[in-house]
Amino acid sequence: MIFYICDGTPENFFTAVFDAYNTSECMITSDKELQLSLGCATVSVQTDLKKCERVRRGLKKYDKHAEEDILAALRSFNTNKEQICFLYIKRLLAHKKPIRNAFSLPEVVDLDTILHQITYEIHRFTGFLRFKETANGTFYAPYSPDNDITDLLMPHFAARFRAPFIIHDVKRKIAGLFNGNEWIMTYVGDAEICLSESERAFESLWKKYYKSVNIKERPHEKQMKGYMPVRYWKFLPEKNG
Amino acid sequence: MIDAEKLEILTESAKYDVSCSSSGSKRVNSAGGLGNASVGGICHSFTPDGRCISLLKILMSNDCIYDCEYCPNRRSADVRRATITPTEICELVIGFYQRNYIEGLFLSSAVFGTPDKTMELLIKTVEMLRREYRFNGYIHLKGIPHADDLLIMKAARLVDRMSFNVELPSEKSLKLLAPQKTKQSLLLPMKNLQNAITYDKVNKVRRKDAVIPAGQTTQMIIGASPETDGQILKLTEALYRNMGLKRVYYSSYIPVVQSNLLPTVGAGLLREHRLYQADWLIRFYGFDVNEIVDEGENLSQEYDPKCAWALRNMHLFPVEVNTAPLATLLRVPGIGAKSAYRIIEARKFGKLEFEHLVKMRVVLKRARHFITCKGKFYGVENINQVKNCLLLGDGGEVTEQLSMFSEKSVALSALTGEV
Ligand code: SF4
Repeated sequence: MIFYICDGTPENFFTAVFDAYNTSECMITSDKELQLSLGCATVSVQTDLKKCERVRRGLKKYDKHAEEDILAALRSFNTNKEQICFLYIKRLLAHKKPIRNAFSLPEVVDLDTILHQITYEIHRFTGFLRFKETANGTFYAPYSPDNDITDLLMPHFAARFRAPFIIHDVKRKIAGLFNGNEWIMTYVGDAEICLSESERAFESLWKKYYKSVNIKERPHEKQMKGYMPVRYWKFLPEKNG
Repeated sequence: MIDAEKLEILTESAKYDVSCSSSGSKRVNSAGGLGNASVGGICHSFTPDGRCISLLKILMSNDCIYDCEYCPNRRSADVRRATITPTEICELVIGFYQRNYIEGLFLSSAVFGTPDKTMELLIKTVEMLRREYRFNGYIHLKGIPHADDLLIMKAARLVDRMSFNVELPSEKSLKLLAPQKTKQSLLLPMKNLQNAITYDKVNKVRRKDAVIPAGQTTQMIIGASPETDGQILKLTEALYRNMGLKRVYYSSYIPVVQSNLLPTVGAGLLREHRLYQADWLIRFYGFDVNEIVDEGENLSQEYDPKCAWALRNMHLFPVEVNTAPLATLLRVPGIGAKSAYRIIEARKFGKLEFEHLVKMRVVLKRARHFITCKGKFYGVENINQVKNCLLLGDGGEVTEQLSMFSEKSVALSALTGEV
C-alpha cells in the first residue's frame, strides 16, 4: 500500500490524483496523525501545476460541477476527504458521464455525505454566528466551525450588513475581513477586542429574551441539542451565564 | 433603550404563538440599508423547549380590551401589563439583527385602545423600520381583527408575511372562547390579502413593492375545544385551498389560564405532532384529508398518518421501487421526499436492489414491508405482524410522549411534521 501525502492545498491534491491514478493499492491523505502499518510506503506529493490542470480538465469534460464539488469537499474536517474525492474522481473518469445522482454508488454517497455536512454547517452558522460590537464600530464574530467555511460564509453577511465586520475562525487562525464594501481573507492569531458601550446591554437583553421566550411547561432539551449541538455553544451568549 | 422587565413581559405574552419561521421571502438589501431575507429561512438559536428562534417575537402591548378565555393577557386577567413604543421596538430589532441574534421581527399586539389605533401603531413601527432604519430583514406582522381594511393593506406592503389567527377550529368554539372575535373579522382580511396577492401577480407588480411576498399563515389552538382531528384537518385543507395560506400552525393547548370553560389538562405534544404530519401529507404528498381521517375521527396515536393510511390500504402494496412513479413512492411509509428523489435518480443508472437502498440511506425499517426490489420482497407478509413491527419501530411513543423525538431522524422532522 502506498500513501500519497498531500500538503492540504487543492493543487497538491490534484497532482496526487494524477500520480496515484494508475497505482493499484494506494491512498491519498493529508492527515498528519496518520498511523502507518508495516509494509506501507509513503510518497510526499510535489505540486505540479501541469498535472493539476490535466486532472481538472478531465473533471470538467465529464461533469461541469465536479470540480466545484471536489473543492468544497476538500474543506471537510473528515480525515478521509482526499481519499473520498479520489475515488469519486476515478469513478467519474471511468464512467465518462456525470454520476452525481447515481446514489447506488458508494463513491457518490460518500462524497454527498461530506458535502452535505459542509453545506449544512454553513447554513447553521448563518444563524449561529454571533457578532459583538467593538468600540470602533466594527462587528466581530469569533467561532470554531468543524469545516473550513469562513470564506464561504462571508458573502452571506457581506450582502446583509453595511458596517465593517470580522469573522474569525479561532481554531484555524484565519479571518474574513469586510470593510463595508469588499471582503478579504487573511491569517489572524489572537484578536484583542475592546467592546462598545452598548454591547453589554444588548447582550443581556438577548439573554433575557432567550429565557422569556422558552415554554417551561414543555421541556425538550434533547431536541434543542439535536438542532444546536453543544460544541457550538461556546460562542453563543445565550448559552453562557 | 427598552427596559428589561418590559421585554420579559411582552416576550412571555408572545411566546405561545408558534409561528417563528422566516422563510418565503427574497427581499434584497438596498444601498446603505441593513439586512435581507433568506428564502429558506434561518434559525438563530434553539430554546430548551426544542423550538427555534428565528424572529424576535414580541407584543407591542399586552394591555388588551378583549377577553379571550384562553389568553393570559385577556382583560379580566390579573397580570403585569406593559406597552412599548415604535422607537423602542426598532432599536431592539436593529441591535439584535446587527449581532446576528435574529433574522427579523415577528410583531404582534394585544388590542389596546381600539383595533384601528393598535393597527396604526404597528404600521408606524414597521414603517419606521423600513424607512428610517432602512431595514430589509424579515418582518412578520400579526393582523388585528376588526381593524380597517385599508390599514391592513397598507401594512401588507411593508412586511414579508402577515397572519390572522383563526384561533379555534370552529365558529362555535370561537364564539364561546373568543367572544369579541368573529369568524368574519378573521377570514375577511385573509381573503382580502389573498386577492391583493393575486392582483400583484397578475399585474406583475415589482417584487419590492408587492404585498406580503412570503404570504399568510394562521394558527389554531388544539385541545381547548372539542373538535376532532378530522374537523381540524378539513378546516386546514380549506384554508390551504381557498385562502392560499402558506402554512397552518397548531398549538396544543397548555392550561395556563384557570377557566371553567377550558379543560384542565393540556392536549399533549403527540396530538400536535400527528396533526403536523397529516398537514405535511396534504401539502407535499398529494393526500386529501378524506384519505387520512374521517371527519368525526381523530388521528391514530399509534401510527403516523402515512403508516395508518398504508395499513388501511394494504391492497395497494407492495410497490416496485424500480418502476413506481414519484407520487406512489411518496406514499410508502418511511420514504420521504429526499429518499424518493434519490430512488428516482439512482434507478436511471441501473436496477436497484435492497442493498442499494441501504447504501443510499433510505430508512427501511418501515418501508421494507411496502416495497419490492426487482420483484423481491423483504418485509413480513402477515398484516398483524407488520402492524407489530411498525409499532415497535415507533419506539413505544404513546406511553412516552416526551421522549418521542429521541430518535434523531424523528427529531429533525419534529418541527415540520415531515414523514
Ligand atoms: S385579543 Fe384575545 S388573544 Fe389577543 S391578546 Fe387580547 S385577549 Fe389575548
